[in-house]
Amino acid sequence: MIPLEYWLIVSSLLFAVGAYGVLTRRNAIVVLMCIEIMLNAANLNLVVFSSYHTVLHGWADPSGQVFALFSIAIAAAEVAVGLAIILSVYRRYKTIDVDKINVLRW
Amino acid sequence: MTKGAWNALAVMLMALLFVLVVTGVSWPEGEMDDVSNEDLATTLFGEQNTEGYALVVFLVGLLLLVAMLGGVFLAKEEKE
Repeated sequence: MIPLEYWLIVSSLLFAVGAYGVLTRRNAIVVLMCIEIMLNAANLNLVVFSSYHTVLHGWADPSGQVFALFSIAIAAAEVAVGLAIILSVYRRYKTIDVDKINVLRW
Repeated sequence: MTKGAWNALAVMLMALLFVLVVTGVSWPEGEMDDVSNEDLATTLFGEQNTEGYALVVFLVGLLLLVAMLGGVFLAKEEKE
């Protein structure tokens, strides 16, 4: 059985990878993908703490896994709107370089 | 050092900090819960005596619909 802290370490590293991508990459789609990686790190935390609920609190409670499902659904909504915004920005500015898109004016 | 290398170093330090914090806590040892799909469904939709998250499922579905419509509206080609 894998100890709890190993899952948390994986989750932390996943979050760090996502943060690195968000901070360094300029392509808006890659930035969006890295945000999703960070979101998955949070989901992993939810599922892990839910899976070890008996160890931590003495009774089983799969609510964390249910919340992870909701989080995945909300992430899907976010991606739909994010990609549409990127598409719209590309049509307007002919680029999706986040450094070059420095105005929020339409 | 280039800017990219500094960024990588900063993120590696952040990851190291995370790992140190996680390993610094004495987590209790034990087995994972054996949660079946049925348990998950019971938590999600509830039973006769317990309340589930059915309303939240409905709201999330509504959010997905609105996001889809918003995405279509935003991605729509503008007429000149």
